[in-house]
Amino acid sequence: MSLVYVALALFCIGLYGTLTRRDIIAVLASVEVMLGGATVLLVGLSATSNLAGVSTPPGETSGVGLVILVLAAAEASVGLALMLAVARRLNTTRIDELDEVSG
Amino acid sequence: MSISMIELVFWMIAAASLLGALTVVFTRDVTRMALGLGVFLLSVAGWFVYFSQTFLAAAQVFVYVGGVLVLVLFAIMLVHRSGAGRPALESRHTIDSIMVAVAVFVLVVSALQDVGSALTVTPLPGSPDAISAALLGPMLPHFEALGVLLLAALAAVIVISGGERS
Repeated sequence: MSLVYVALALFCIGLYGTLTRRDIIAVLASVEVMLGGATVLLVGLSATSNLAGVSTPPGETSGVGLVILVLAAAEASVGLALMLAVARRLNTTRIDELDEVSG
Repeated sequence: MSISMIELVFWMIAAASLLGALTVVFTRDVTRMALGLGVFLLSVAGWFVYFSQTFLAAAQVFVYVGGVLVLVLFAIMLVHRSGAGRPALESRHTIDSIMVAVAVFVLVVSALQDVGSALTVTPLPGSPDAISAALLGPMLPHFEALGVLLLAALAAVIVISGGERS
């Protein structure tokens, strides 16, 4: 049960950072923390639990983890590329200055 | 009360990941934030080792610490290059954000109460041949979709950061 608490604490710390940070790169880093917490919980439960007699087939735990890993890496690279494009065009990376839909 | 070795390892990894996460969220220095992110990502690899998913841990170190963290540092150096003062990160700490985070924590903990108590701590090892059998067997659609997604992300990054052609 302490695994659930720790992983959820990581997720909620990341959520708090995502809500409060004002710089795009810090928001992206906080999203990475959220994803990390969720991945730890998913892989941890999948690797250790034996819920209702149904155990995960060997290899699928790591398979699911790898899928999340690749998704998160793609998300981070696209997010950072968007941040670079915004910083180059509008000369700011503060999200509260980026409040116009039509730039 | 005595603590077994495995519990000690658990709480050491937990402390490292919580410390890294708190640094990412609360520090004002952008390089310290990147350092905290590195500690956090390495501790996630530590979690995977704790759950006997060693291949996943190696992939985490390669992809995140070797790839994404370098990408973040690269972006920081490209964007935050202003003047003599070290770039400071600002936050807007409000009671609403704390309430949302705490509410999500309480909600999901109460929802997972039964799941957590049913845990049996017998990790299944994830050996590379088992992973390949899973990825090319029942998880083949996911595997193929990931290939398409990576191609789309690659094309998107090139288009977005390609600069203005005028």
